[in-house]
Amino acid sequence: MNDWVMRLMDWVAPSGSEAPVVQALLDEVRPAADEVFVDALGNGIARKRGEGPHLMLAAHVDEPGLMVIDVDDRGYLRVVSVGEVHARECVGRQILFTNGIAGVVHADLSQQGELGVDALIIDVGARSREEAERMVPIGTAGAIALPPFSWDGKVLTGRALDNRLGCAVAARAFRALADRGLNTSVAFTAQNAVGARAAQAAAFQLEPRYAIVIDGVTADDVLKDRPVVALGRGPVLTVMDRATVVPLEAKRAVEQAAERLGLSLQYEVSREALGDTGAIQLSRAGCVAVGLGYPVRRAGAFAMTADVSDAEALFQLVLAAAEALMA
Amino acid sequence: MLLKELTEAFGPTGFEDEIRAVVRRELDAMGLSVRTDVLGNVIASTGEHHPGPRVMLDAHMDEVGLMVTHIGEGRDEAGLLRFRPLGGVDPRVLVSKPVYVGERRLPGVIGAKPVHLQEPGEREKPIPLEKLYIDIGARDADDARRHVKPGDPVVFATAYEELPRRMAKAKSFDDRVGCYILLEAIRRWKTPLPVFAAFTVQEEIGLRGAHAAAYQIQPDIAIALEGTVAHDVVDTPSHGQSTVVGRGPAITVQDGQTVADRRFAEFLWETAKARNIPVQWRRVKGGTNDFGAIHRVGKGVVGGAISVPVRYIHAPTQLVSLDDVQHAIDLVIAVLDEIAKGGFRP
Amino acid sequence: MSKYAGVFKQLLEAHGGPGFEEDVRNLILPHLSEYASEIWSDAVGNLIGLIPGNGEGRRPRVLVSAHIDEIALVVTRIESGGFLRLAQAGGFDPRTLVGQEVVVHTEGGRLFGVIGAKPPHLTPAAERSKAAKLEDLYVDLALPEDEVRARVRVGDRVTLRRSPLELLNGRIAGKSVDNRASAAVLLEALALLKGMVHEADLYAVFTVQEEVGLRGARTAGFGLVPDIAIAVDVTFGAFPGQAPDESFPLEGGVAISFGPNLHRRVFRRLVDCAERHRIPYQIELSQRPVGADANAFQIAGPGLAAALIGPPIRYMHTSVETVAYDDIWQCARLLAHYVAEVDAAQVEELTCY
Repeated sequence: MNDWVMRLMDWVAPSGSEAPVVQALLDEVRPAADEVFVDALGNGIARKRGEGPHLMLAAHVDEPGLMVIDVDDRGYLRVVSVGEVHARECVGRQILFTNGIAGVVHADLSQQGELGVDALIIDVGARSREEAERMVPIGTAGAIALPPFSWDGKVLTGRALDNRLGCAVAARAFRALADRGLNTSVAFTAQNAVGARAAQAAAFQLEPRYAIVIDGVTADDVLKDRPVVALGRGPVLTVMDRATVVPLEAKRAVEQAAERLGLSLQYEVSREALGDTGAIQLSRAGCVAVGLGYPVRRAGAFAMTADVSDAEALFQLVLAAAEALMA
Repeated sequence: MLLKELTEAFGPTGFEDEIRAVVRRELDAMGLSVRTDVLGNVIASTGEHHPGPRVMLDAHMDEVGLMVTHIGEGRDEAGLLRFRPLGGVDPRVLVSKPVYVGERRLPGVIGAKPVHLQEPGEREKPIPLEKLYIDIGARDADDARRHVKPGDPVVFATAYEELPRRMAKAKSFDDRVGCYILLEAIRRWKTPLPVFAAFTVQEEIGLRGAHAAAYQIQPDIAIALEGTVAHDVVDTPSHGQSTVVGRGPAITVQDGQTVADRRFAEFLWETAKARNIPVQWRRVKGGTNDFGAIHRVGKGVVGGAISVPVRYIHAPTQLVSLDDVQHAIDLVIAVLDEIAKGGFRP
Repeated sequence: MSKYAGVFKQLLEAHGGPGFEEDVRNLILPHLSEYASEIWSDAVGNLIGLIPGNGEGRRPRVLVSAHIDEIALVVTRIESGGFLRLAQAGGFDPRTLVGQEVVVHTEGGRLFGVIGAKPPHLTPAAERSKAAKLEDLYVDLALPEDEVRARVRVGDRVTLRRSPLELLNGRIAGKSVDNRASAAVLLEALALLKGMVHEADLYAVFTVQEEVGLRGARTAGFGLVPDIAIAVDVTFGAFPGQAPDESFPLEGGVAISFGPNLHRRVFRRLVDCAERHRIPYQIELSQRPVGADANAFQIAGPGLAAALIGPPIRYMHTSVETVAYDDIWQCARLLAHYVAEVDAAQVEELTCY
């Protein structure tokens, strides 16, 4: 799985620019599906009809980034953020655009006060406005470059690890459930980082009874001595985030599944996180949706670290929880 | 002069009756099938049963305004009206402006304590809403109550005027300019294609009318027509201007509630270029328009916005270029043309 | 009169924050069964009862809702010593939580807790002038740390612990008057309606997760698509220092809301109905979408004609929310008479602008 996840991480795919990753993921699940398609908002969807009530899997594909909004006469670029990005984590770093062009991020660090994204200036080596606009047209998105790296194959680090690792888990889980003849679907969702905008449309089309949403969960094990969520301690159940409260029925199903598998479970309560679970739960007249995740250490919007063993355990848990819910 | 009538029509968010009547009159005169929904949106359609993608064109009818919340009693507040904003009004623009109270357009002025009587510290700060009153000339509360009741909506009393060099000033170009573009485009549009013209309510308090209208229409493609922020003024660098007045309609790459569908944004851009219609990118992330709600409705909708730059949006006096308005109408027609020819497949 | 005053007090003692409304639902269920021909819960937990109307053909469909969740807290961390840190599930003012008794809902049962308050003797003068922040507050379970860790998990819910108090003049104080008062309104209205003939099919909906974003109302509105959707929810009772348009005296009658996102004809009918039946009422103005289920109803599916009524309460979002039962009763009267009077012509006129 690691190599594949690392390949998925190579794509720069801020919200709205997910198409190539979505295609790669759909290629992976196509053999197990009755149909696959990409919808109006860029969600990649695979459907497999089978036994039991319909259970939808979802994992967002997109990542936060920057988008070119203006080019000045000298050929320097101005950007806005896509999702939540702090300007100070970008300064002095290399930015990689979706079309493969690279640039360097400048800012006047002697300025006092909070540094805003509007203070960032990007140099792509262009000598004029026209040249810069040809290289990186207005509206092109990019992300801070941070090549993926693996420690002993057990711990992965890199940009967009959240949620390409989750996409890989979702793809595998879909194939496994489909192989068992179950009634299932998977949505590789777009536009989560800008406010979980596309997942509801996916659920609207799929009309599931149950949904399991797979996402990275922020670990606090760097800054806290006694962390609530830590790498290597197993999958995480989202009890509450900005858009969802877990239904007790789903929580119990997951806890019992974890117990059967002998997995330890961690719990997330967050007033900052905004997963796709809430949007899916409230699609149409509602469904039973639960968010499951793997711990991710974040140093800002781009630098992330995860333990592969958590994702492996999550994969087992997703299958067991899905079967428990559908039973 | 339709643009004058549209901008001067009364219609703060939730109280769109007068502007709705103007819009309906125009649509009825075109012989279109027109209906009003439960929220008060007006939806006209043409070519509904013709093959081809269902195209929704949207413009919101409501404008920002105020609501009378309390009639003052006692010696100091006698007959003065307290109010709160309807939609996003910056309280700093309110002081010393004339207004119309209620649909019968009772004139009033927004006043505050004279500068002479303000403490030095007070002068440094914007005057808070609680210290502003609408004065309709009433002698006392009973006098005021004969003319006004709490809940009455209020609009800016700004007349439409055309200025030299194809500029115009009025209140509520946001979004009566969109209503105008939509009416003129649909008036000229003759080719069969399922086109739905939605004149929506309550955009200014959260894109509410458009949400319901889109659900009813279930479009394949949607375009919001709107006035957008232009701040091409002194001391503002290019990347802080959003749009420039006179450079043509603007196309969004990202705003507060949408990340543009790149394929559609480029389709708009290329269509304009091919017909020599000037266009510009809307270079700002803040703000949004009805498309922010529409694209997320149901199974999701492809589309975007065509925006006319407006200086001093949400303030009593707003400025537009009539050339930009004309170019926006031309662009809407060109885009429908291309879609009808199969030039964009959703 | 006031058939459900006793049930109301039971409702105030029941615990049910956003997403765990089971106990409240179970308490209401037998009473709803007295009136509804069909009862079901939807996927997010809304409790729905259908009371069919009279007459052939397509009958008007009216939804009335009261949210049954209360504002709550959630355990985010177990600190050394076994003290619990909290996050909001709803909008508490942390200053009202200091020294408050709470109930912690664990897998193995309920635990008593108190939110710690530093004694004045130990509080430096500078700290006394500062408002308490939720991050600094903690629940003390009065249990050893290892026992806390064995029994409590991150994500366990916390609610206020408060028995209702009867004040003078039929005024009642307690926790979760917001919005169990409106659940009582619905039950009283159903009892009144039993003695009336009504054309409309009535959906009585006890909604969930209002306090975290009107979530139950969204799925209920979409799923049922009524012609008219009336939310019943509490509003601000008059108290010194509040603006005149945000103050509604207790025993002043039903607050009927008026504003952009509420249907003007339904508002007008409600006011007319109150006038004709001599039901005391007061008008509440809003300039924005209201902070109640009616907000979600208006833009559910194709859009619904939404309205909002409710009793005023004092001290909203504290453990001593205070309501006058008479206001509950008057709301019930208005709701019952209004529903009884809805006919097909009124539904027709909803799209006449």
